[in-house]
Amino acid sequence: MRANIKTIEFKFERTIPAPPGEVFDGWLNPKIPGNPWNMAEKLLLNPKVDGFFYWTFKGTPHYGRFTEMERPGQIQHTWVSPSTLGEESTVTVTFKKQGEDTLMTLVHSGIPDTDAGRGHEKGWNYFLDIFPGQFANGPRKEN
Amino acid sequence: MDQLTDVLTAISHPTRRAIIGQLANGPARFLDVAKPFDTALNAVTKHLKLLERAGLIERRKQGREVFISFRGEPLREVAGWVHEYERFWNQRLDQFEQYFKDKKTKGKKK
Repeated sequence: MRANIKTIEFKFERTIPAPPGEVFDGWLNPKIPGNPWNMAEKLLLNPKVDGFFYWTFKGTPHYGRFTEMERPGQIQHTWVSPSTLGEESTVTVTFKKQGEDTLMTLVHSGIPDTDAGRGHEKGWNYFLDIFPGQFANGPRKEN
Repeated sequence: MDQLTDVLTAISHPTRRAIIGQLANGPARFLDVAKPFDTALNAVTKHLKLLERAGLIERRKQGREVFISFRGEPLREVAGWVHEYERFWNQRLDQFEQYFKDKKTKGKKK
């Protein structure tokens, strides 16, 4: 990462109603909805340490290299896309047993904090995506 | 309060979102805006004031009538506040979680 670029990190958590091994496998299975590979128009995926991935969505390429693969606890890979300005960011996904469920934590770090990342045009599209659902509810009665 | 806070406050209420949805179809008179809501007119007035303070609506006089119209520009500031990767991973993880919830529900029904 270039020294003069400020980077940011995002952390997400979800409780998945399945054991860690199943969730781990699901995250690497392109047929399972929700993982990044599932949305790919073209996909090359070699999920092992030093294995590479390449996928495109709406023509945008994403590249990476798996750096850690410890079933069922952790997956780590680099992530390179136009939004990272071609720099390597890092995605770390951990899976922790929580009763019968799995606490899944995804940390995406080393993302260049640019205006493009916080792009107003993309943000605008986000609102267009979510607002029809809100509007469709129509007026509600006041209490 | 700054404009971002005003806008977030304005869109936090379902009635105000419904008003925005209604006005997104085109300008309307006050009574037409209030018509779909089963609520007192002064409650609608309060909602409109909050929307106006956020810059999401504007009032324009045409002859003897006042028309209220939607302004989308302030939503851009809120939209820009959410990072591309925040949206991306939240959407992916929501879908992933839902897949396993559905799978569990189906498993119980069998």
